[in-house]
Amino acid sequence: MASLSPEKLLELQEAAYQIRRLSIEMITFARWGHPGGSLSLADILAVLYFQCMNIDPQNPKAENRDRLILSKAHSSPALYAALAVKGFYPLQEIYTYCEPEGLEGHTDMTHTAGIESSGGPLGMGLSVAVGCAYGLRLKENPRSRVFCLLGDGELNEGNVWEAAMSAAHYHLDNLIAVVDYNKVMAKGFVWDLMNIEPLVDKWAAFGWDVLEADGHDLEALTATFYQARWIQPRGKPIVVIAHTVKGRGIEMAEFNYKWHTHAPDAGTADAMLRELSRRYGRPEQGYSKLGAEREKENFYGGE
Amino acid sequence: MAENSPARPIEMRDVFGQMLVQLGQEYSRMLVLDADLHTSSKAGYFKAAYPDRFIQVGIAEQNLFGISAGLALEGFIPFPCTFASFATRRALDQVAISICYPGLNVKIPGSYVGLPTSRAGTSHNCIEDIAIMRVLPNMRLADPGDNADMRAVMHAALEVDGPVYFRVARYTFPDLFGADHRFEWGKGKILRSGNDVTLFGTGMMTSFCMNAAGLLEKDGITAEVVHLASIKPIDRELIAASAGKTGCAVSAENASIIGGFGSAVAEVLAETSPVPLSRIGVRDRFVTSGGIGDLFRIHGMLPEDIARAAHVVLTQKIGRTT
Repeated sequence: MASLSPEKLLELQEAAYQIRRLSIEMITFARWGHPGGSLSLADILAVLYFQCMNIDPQNPKAENRDRLILSKAHSSPALYAALAVKGFYPLQEIYTYCEPEGLEGHTDMTHTAGIESSGGPLGMGLSVAVGCAYGLRLKENPRSRVFCLLGDGELNEGNVWEAAMSAAHYHLDNLIAVVDYNKVMAKGFVWDLMNIEPLVDKWAAFGWDVLEADGHDLEALTATFYQARWIQPRGKPIVVIAHTVKGRGIEMAEFNYKWHTHAPDAGTADAMLRELSRRYGRPEQGYSKLGAEREKENFYGGE
Repeated sequence: MAENSPARPIEMRDVFGQMLVQLGQEYSRMLVLDADLHTSSKAGYFKAAYPDRFIQVGIAEQNLFGISAGLALEGFIPFPCTFASFATRRALDQVAISICYPGLNVKIPGSYVGLPTSRAGTSHNCIEDIAIMRVLPNMRLADPGDNADMRAVMHAALEVDGPVYFRVARYTFPDLFGADHRFEWGKGKILRSGNDVTLFGTGMMTSFCMNAAGLLEKDGITAEVVHLASIKPIDRELIAASAGKTGCAVSAENASIIGGFGSAVAEVLAETSPVPLSRIGVRDRFVTSGGIGDLFRIHGMLPEDIARAAHVVLTQKIGRTT
């Protein structure tokens, strides 16, 4: 079950490609967003939404669904892209990103189908996920899982470790945290700004079962999430430390904190997307809105 | 229950704890969460009655509110119980973004509010909570005036779908209302009619306003006392009508006057019926340790202070009309 058929692998590759492509499209059109952390998360989301998680875009609030809390909510473009590709809402809506009444800059659960929680400030999502996991247990729902996607830099936040302590205390083995360990924060490297190592030991010391995976290897991620979901649960919450590369898929953004928060201009986005399509072995495809950019507002020098 | 016997006045926090149990029977999805304070907050009544619906989170208030958000997402009605100081200052981001922003159905009791708290001092005497909670979109906010009001506010908290913050004072306050009392969001109540000055009270300070009205009567002044337990939404019509009639007003709150209840009243008056107003409450100071009577004297929040403020605004009113 854990291994992928060739067809399924192709489907996941396509999903990951679209998540990356659409993330750059929406960030560029909005002129705001976080490309680096969206690109590092793309393969994780592809495997979760197209292989691992039990979700139905036609019935996004089904009681027996799996829940996903995006604690690193600045990576919302990747999640919006995954939801759009999955069919939660029309693909064209990605171009409403960061517009009034459109897709919110950080996540807004009241506005977009498939978004399970509202967030933005880092360090808060794991507590919410603990509440969901606890609630599922109270409702005697043994099948649903709660996934919580964390950034590495946000592990600096104390709230994460309050939540981690409590998840182990409550024996929430229906909770799977995923750390997008891309090693790069907003303004530099994790080990320079505030070191989080030894990370495996930390989670283990807090009472979690720890799994590690290459966060860009679709087969490895599939096997790891399969283990987290079906093999591992034994009275402890599970964390998957996914080793990733910030900005993965576009060379100039890879391992580069300057692309943490930075929207490319249309020409740069065009070059980025052409490179991305080449790396995926696809026919070269640039930025779809080249020459049709949204007019730039100039309000007291700001946008 | 023995605590209800008239011979033994019951503390407001006990009424809160007992109401949790009563409402827990009515609302099966109600949960109570505690951050190691349940014998002080009196959430312990619920723990004893429904141990399976009581969740201990330890001393971690950010987690307390985050977990409450998650439980609300799953359809439960969590009551995260802690002191007002920690619900507001420690966990504001979680309250604002995880709970208020999506409008989750979480009911937040703020225990140990204002001056009648204990001798714990500045860190535990919460005076900012009205100002902090009032500014959050989607949040409803109430400060009950007596035990009947506390019961009514808790009923009303569960009758709306969305976040509610209500204040739970620690001690025993005079009865203002009968057993049939009902609380309505956005509705105040005239407790005593008068024509010369309006005393707007919230929480325990309304009974001080009643005492102040008694003092003013001896000076030949008839004061109207308006109780506004619902601070948000606030009864704009009643505030404007009463102040329009009397022509001057005093507000009284067991909290900081900056951004709090007095500010809310001032905002309504400024936009509807501008009249001289004096605000009674903590005036830009921290509240240190001390005996409760001493603290009320030090901060100028006794009935005599309210009466004195009424004289000042009456003088201002007369100065305007002559």
